[in-house]
Amino acid sequence: MTLMATPEIRTPVGAVALRIRGLRKTFGTKQVLKGVDLDLHAGEFVTLLGANGSGKSTALKSIVGLQTADEGLIEVDGAPATADPTKTAMVFQQIHLVKRRSVLDNVCAGALGRLPMWQSLHPWLFPAALRQEAMHCLDRVGLADRASEPAGKLSGGQQQRVAIARALCQRAKVVLADEPVSALDPNASEQVLALLAELATEGLGVLAVLHQPELAMKYSSRLIGLNKGVVEFDLPTPEVDMSMVDALYSGDQK
Amino acid sequence: MTAALADFSTAPKPPARRWPSPLMLGLIALLIVAHVFAWQGTDVSIKSLIEGRKGMADFLDEAIPLDLTWSTVLRPGLEAALVTLYIGLLGTTLSIPFALGMGMLASRATTPNTVLYQATRSILSFLRSVPDVVFALIFVCAVGLGPFAGVLALVFHNTGVMGKLWAEAMEETDLGPRDVLRIGGANGVQTALHAVLPTSLPQLVGLLLYRFDVNVRSSLVLGLVGAGGIGFLINEAIKTFKFDVMATHILIVLVLVIAVDQVSAQVRKRIGA
Repeated sequence: MTLMATPEIRTPVGAVALRIRGLRKTFGTKQVLKGVDLDLHAGEFVTLLGANGSGKSTALKSIVGLQTADEGLIEVDGAPATADPTKTAMVFQQIHLVKRRSVLDNVCAGALGRLPMWQSLHPWLFPAALRQEAMHCLDRVGLADRASEPAGKLSGGQQQRVAIARALCQRAKVVLADEPVSALDPNASEQVLALLAELATEGLGVLAVLHQPELAMKYSSRLIGLNKGVVEFDLPTPEVDMSMVDALYSGDQK
Repeated sequence: MTAALADFSTAPKPPARRWPSPLMLGLIALLIVAHVFAWQGTDVSIKSLIEGRKGMADFLDEAIPLDLTWSTVLRPGLEAALVTLYIGLLGTTLSIPFALGMGMLASRATTPNTVLYQATRSILSFLRSVPDVVFALIFVCAVGLGPFAGVLALVFHNTGVMGKLWAEAMEETDLGPRDVLRIGGANGVQTALHAVLPTSLPQLVGLLLYRFDVNVRSSLVLGLVGAGGIGFLINEAIKTFKFDVMATHILIVLVLVIAVDQVSAQVRKRIGA
């Protein structure tokens, strides 16, 4: 088995949703990303694995502009990522819902990027069509019956699913998930990852950072191993064995 | 029991103790010197405090019993106290739009750029540094003696204080929801309205109530410089040596302030701010 990535021989699931070439980022003297290449196709659930400091989160943050890469190409749906931010959504470990607002209002907020200014001054002004679309998204994550409750009343796993519904309501092509289940109990973690995997089969591109290799192997179609800012392997899940994953984390134990 | 007998000598040695640095010792010395000068500069004297006991007793002698005549003292006093409350209420409410607008520009969570951020922060700190009494004196000259001058004074000063407090409250809230919406393509105004403001609302309301509480107390002092309300009556009573009348008014003030303080504290407790 080779450790080198050979993207050419894989049959892509759909069109390329996210294309990254030569991504580099340096903090002070520490080079966090040393030329990362990555393709994410529509319909794929890809997981980035790697020890703390391997550059996983920095890569995700560079895609959505929370951080600026020093060098590299980032394309979403064939255009520079900055061209249309609504095409990329991100879910976080900390979930980041507005807890005092209703579940429905939180989901609707995903659509702000395409709403005219006057309709986005207050949730009261959200158009009926948007509220209906948001209900559809909530139904998709199985929480339509909780729409009117304050988001903070829901459990952690349910809140994460609301955050995913918000990404759906944004009509994103690519969903990035930065440790989406690190704060959840095992059962809720499985639910959230199963949902993301299911959404991927429906045509979404999902790129996740996970700290649980077992869960990553269970739900993702492809695994990418990052080690000190370098792609160590990029393989369909069945071709990855545990020893390769263990090697990613052992390098850190000095 | 066993712990006292255990031998810890094989454990690693603890790191050396850290003593205050020479800089810290110097600062402490400087602070002590400053207090000595302050003590002398303000004529602090235990002796005059003890000797002043007699004057205090004379004063209380004249103030008690209180003058509780309904038509000439109590009724005007209560009416003026209501005006004082009104000054505090309007002064606080009318400053909300200015404090909110400038607070959002002066908060790192919502400001569109650093030039506006610095500019609004300077304006707010100017409004804050001019005491409300000085504003009141200015507005008494502009719009004449009376409560309206007090309202204007509070609006100006309170915009400065509340704008800064609100800006800081917005900066301290979790900025995650803001980032999520920004990633999804929402603009600055949208992220402010749908992430920063709703997240920090309990804190903003708590600060508003606290400022209302402070402003009602300030409007008493504003009365002393001619801006209406019960402060004006207290000033009159002092000038005419009617200490029993003054004591009645002060009692009314005490009840008013405690009532406002309690209501504001209760509401703040309920909203968890």
